[in-house]
Amino acid sequence: MRNKPNVLILSGDGINCEQETSNAFQHANASTKIIHINDLLDNPKGLLNFDILALPGGFSFGDDLGSGKILSFKLKFGLEQELAKFVDMKRPIIGICNGFQVLVKMGLLPFPTLRQSISLINNSGQHFINKWAKLIINQKSVCKWTINLREDNIIKLPIRHGEGRLITSQQNLITNDQIPLTYEHDINGSMFNIAGICDPSGTIFGLMPHPEAAIFQGVTPNGLLPPHTPGIGVKFFESIVYYLNNI
Amino acid sequence: MFCLADPRDEELNENKKLPPGLLTPRRILTGVHQGVEDGGNKSGIPTVNGAFYFDIDFAGKPLVFVGTIGVLPQKINNNPTSLKTINIGDRVIMAGGAIGRDGIHGATFSSMELNENSPTSAVQIGDPITQKRLSDFLLEARDLGLYTCITDNGAGGLSSSVGEMALISNGAEIDLSLCPIKYPGLVPYELMISESQERMTFAVNPTKVKEFLNLAVKRGVQATDIGEFNDSGNLSIKYNKELVALIDLDFLHNSLPPMQLNSYWDGPSEREEWISKKQKVELDLTNINHEKILTTILSSPNISSKESLVRRYDHEVQSATHIKPFVGTTQQGPSDSGVIWLYPHGGSKDSAISIGCGLNPRLSLYDPYLMAQASVDEAIRNVVVTGGDLEYLCLLDNFCWPDPLEDSKTERGDYKLGQLVRACQGLSDICSDYSTPLVSGKDSMKNDYSGKSYDNQNIKISILPTLLVTAMSKCNINHTVTSDFKNAGDYIYLIGKNSLGLFGSELVENFELNSQEASFPPAINTSLNYQLYKQYHQAVKSNLIKSAHDISDGGLSVALCESMIGGDLGANINLLMDKNTFINLLYSEATGRFLISVDQNDKEKFEKYFPQTEIILLGKVSTSKSLQIKNNSKIEMNISLQDIKNSWSKELV
Repeated sequence: MRNKPNVLILSGDGINCEQETSNAFQHANASTKIIHINDLLDNPKGLLNFDILALPGGFSFGDDLGSGKILSFKLKFGLEQELAKFVDMKRPIIGICNGFQVLVKMGLLPFPTLRQSISLINNSGQHFINKWAKLIINQKSVCKWTINLREDNIIKLPIRHGEGRLITSQQNLITNDQIPLTYEHDINGSMFNIAGICDPSGTIFGLMPHPEAAIFQGVTPNGLLPPHTPGIGVKFFESIVYYLNNI
Repeated sequence: MFCLADPRDEELNENKKLPPGLLTPRRILTGVHQGVEDGGNKSGIPTVNGAFYFDIDFAGKPLVFVGTIGVLPQKINNNPTSLKTINIGDRVIMAGGAIGRDGIHGATFSSMELNENSPTSAVQIGDPITQKRLSDFLLEARDLGLYTCITDNGAGGLSSSVGEMALISNGAEIDLSLCPIKYPGLVPYELMISESQERMTFAVNPTKVKEFLNLAVKRGVQATDIGEFNDSGNLSIKYNKELVALIDLDFLHNSLPPMQLNSYWDGPSEREEWISKKQKVELDLTNINHEKILTTILSSPNISSKESLVRRYDHEVQSATHIKPFVGTTQQGPSDSGVIWLYPHGGSKDSAISIGCGLNPRLSLYDPYLMAQASVDEAIRNVVVTGGDLEYLCLLDNFCWPDPLEDSKTERGDYKLGQLVRACQGLSDICSDYSTPLVSGKDSMKNDYSGKSYDNQNIKISILPTLLVTAMSKCNINHTVTSDFKNAGDYIYLIGKNSLGLFGSELVENFELNSQEASFPPAINTSLNYQLYKQYHQAVKSNLIKSAHDISDGGLSVALCESMIGGDLGANINLLMDKNTFINLLYSEATGRFLISVDQNDKEKFEKYFPQTEIILLGKVSTSKSLQIKNNSKIEMNISLQDIKNSWSKELV
């Protein structure tokens, strides 16, 4: 693996966190390219030129028909073969917030079967919430996106969503160690306080909190360190770069 | 920024004392809040600062102010981005949503009084995703150099966008039949004035048209070539190639004669009452219960926490929000202004901007001159207190006035116009005193409702004359301050002049106060304030200040509580003053003052920054989780942080 992995960051049609997601990967020493959904669908093979696929947060297609629903259809039917190949090659995929909702709805998480098996529904409070939440890192998890967080048991990241309550009947998520991230306290009614999950290989990762919004101390509430000091969020992106450089 | 009637007012919400047809304040608050939540969140723009202001006279016409700030590179492909150019032969291209009958007369609607026949279709129903696609597209097209001029189709629709752009080339011709429409049946006149926040007009060089339109298709944006800029001196409008309007541009822009109006202002006025006044509790000055006063003020709609509503706005998308709406270890202390770090947006490493606002409509009843000055001072204080630099600060003014044109329906219109003149004088003077430019603004002059009351009487509900001032200033990310107390043992200071006067304060709004001070507001001394803000900024740059909070609504007592709530700490205050001064000190909303905490060891260094300024060492931050205030060694107030929080957390809806 060469030193700088290439990251495809999806944009357009209501996605709105592409720039900070790109900044986050660059901080972790990756190269990034922001590509509009329609440009990717025009050239599906282009996906395979990248080492990592990132689906940022936002309101893709206005969350009409449910959060992430339309984008999940677009990707599933527009990129079916390329995505299957990307997943087969164990190339990492991350979905943050709306991107996580897309990964769930297109059936890449928790198992990459292309059939939806869990749901992210309205928060128990029934409305959008923006708040920094305490999160517990599961050190036993197979997730490749948290390997550089071995010394951080509890971290803080912002959540900004209205539909983040994870509902599942899949008890094997626990036995498979597919839950790298849980909320310390119930915040949206999510089962087992789940904040993020990965596939059994640990390369596909979806989470509701925003690690790309914690790249600097300067945007962390109560940050006591100088503003330019890296924030905890960088470690997620560094983890996957480290993983790719060491397989 | 919302100005509404109290959503908890039982007379208006439950007892049906509103004129039939008007929505209840609770319904209006819920709807407006939902609209800002939906529009802001889906646009991917952080909502970093704002305020809620409640007064019964906003029951007839609520005011909603929403603004955005963008960052623009100074040059793109070596061309200055501030210049708009249009050459003869450039194409007129409209992009964004299709035209419908919604949004017709929106601009004039907002300047008309409301009555039971007011149309519901005047305001265009926004679609944030169409707008987001358009804004993504126009940035991409901008960087590719595909257009040279752009104007939005907000107020006035195509008539104002093409009408204004045509001035640059001195003429334009468009064919309205080319415009995409939501449904058939729209006549040219409707097509011309239907307004939308998600439609824009571009000037595109003919050689770039193909590339422009292709990119629009790829980005899911509807774009249509509807005509050409020329130098005919006319705005020419066709429909199916047939001329439907031809108007001389000079006539269009310069022929409206200025209005000649009379105005006077002869001193304070009483409210025009349309509903019986609420009985206030009389304060017994011989035996004041300060805990009772404080909990009443803390739970009042203008002071109580708005956290449950504000947290439904995304305030940190784009990951550059340095000071968020709620601060402190608890993330519950209200901040004075939002601070956005420009580095993540491509700015220099330490560069940030602070954004805040101010308004005080109640003072209009006493003197609109003071009202305007108090609004400016509050907006400036809010950005200066977090670290904003007064030397790099600009303002925006938004006037909303009750109808000031005297006619059969409007009594004392001349007086209301006089109030407007007074407000403009106050605004002009304070901006000169602070050397601060007003860079943009807006006005709306017919904020009245006319109709029948619930018991079938003719009534008119007019808003209080309102001036919203927004301030924006440069600040340095390494030298910013939040309002929450940081450590027990820190000294607490009040800096700035404590002018007497309680008129318009929360104390007088909530209680009947039998004292001289209740009848006049505190004076504003702009030269003292200016000096204080400059001194304060120097102290901020030395990183001596651990917390700082603007003193405004509710006065010092509320500011203390808010700093405690943010830091999850208490405060012990010791004062030595006569009773009257003490009451003023706790509840006055005099401008030009900050509540500050500093490390005990920095006492002398800190005080040196304020040589000629009134400065009071109030006491210390404590671990006790209560607010204890002694005056002349007697405990005047002792209340637990939990009780403070319970009162302050009273929900609005």
